[in-house]
Amino acid sequence: MESLARAILSRAGLFFGRSFFPLFAIAIIVGAALWGPWVSLGVTVVAIAAALRSL
Amino acid sequence: MISGSRSAPEAVRPWRVLSNPQDWHCIIFHFICLAAYACAFWLYLHPKVAGITGPWSRIAFVLASALVLGWISGIDVGVNFHNHSHRPIFASQFLNRWFGRLWTFSGGWPSFFWEYCHVTIHHANLLSADDWTLPKHSADGKFENFQRYLFTHWPWRLSIHLWKDFTTRQSLRRRSFQELAIFLALWSIPFWIDPVMAVFLWALPHWIANAFVMNSGMYVQHAGCVPKTAAKPVSHSTVFVSNLFNLTMFNIGFHSEHHDHPRVHWSELPELHQRLKLDLIAGEAHVVPYGNYHAAFLLAGDEARQKGFAEQDSRYKSSQ
Repeated sequence: MESLARAILSRAGLFFGRSFFPLFAIAIIVGAALWGPWVSLGVTVVAIAAALRSL
Repeated sequence: MISGSRSAPEAVRPWRVLSNPQDWHCIIFHFICLAAYACAFWLYLHPKVAGITGPWSRIAFVLASALVLGWISGIDVGVNFHNHSHRPIFASQFLNRWFGRLWTFSGGWPSFFWEYCHVTIHHANLLSADDWTLPKHSADGKFENFQRYLFTHWPWRLSIHLWKDFTTRQSLRRRSFQELAIFLALWSIPFWIDPVMAVFLWALPHWIANAFVMNSGMYVQHAGCVPKTAAKPVSHSTVFVSNLFNLTMFNIGFHSEHHDHPRVHWSELPELHQRLKLDLIAGEAHVVPYGNYHAAFLLAGDEARQKGFAEQDSRYKSSQ
């Protein structure tokens, strides 16, 4: 049971990890409808700065 | 399995759609990218839903969207399709050709052109005078200025080189014009919907993808490197070993391994890296603990910041 849970978690982690950037892009774009375009722009700038600093 | 060839039982299974089960991730990635473009277009055309109340909030929406769309398109073509150009993801040739066309148009490229640049020019002539995909470099191997390469390479220099190659070679001329026509038909779709939207949420992201993601990637992967020789077998590329970077970027950080074994599947590169680790240390390969993005930040800076890029990951230092 534990190994099954680990396998599922591992696969889910791989899926979200490998799809991270496009999912983040969708969150930024669609998120503008929830929190407005200025917040989306702010989060994008912070994300780019963080990537340049550490990734 | 780290060799490029598929095993016999895999090759003969007629019901198999994908060449490798891991390639589902490539398809999902591309479809999420297309969905991101569709969402951005729809919200641009329905400004009230997106909280766009005037010209400034429209600019904020367009800037945020263009930046993230450019970012993911750069990865989608420069990394994701790149893997497909070495190891086609489908068992069917027809699917490979057409999915490739529907893959790179959202990054501003005809797939045939991208494959030609990368496989025929870059991989076959790495760091030689014939590799015009890389930054111009002096006799001692020093690359031109980072910013100059970013702003002049795509589409300007590339178009000139491609025009020369495709028009002088009879075998390439017909195919290249055919592929260009298919690309233009697909690429023009957003312009038919709304030309202004297409400029800012389609063409602008493609420029960001090519100039800032793909060009900077090419630069950092080979900056400070020398052509492969018996004396320096692993100094042609920098290796980026950040786990987070490689998880989110289809293992493109294992770049030396990729150039030496281009037919190895992207999902098998970490394992190959572990096998070759001692050879990389012995051969004094340049290994850094971060990914392309931080490398670009370092190389875009002044001399003091650029020196940071030359530092070796402490886990990959030779004890001699």
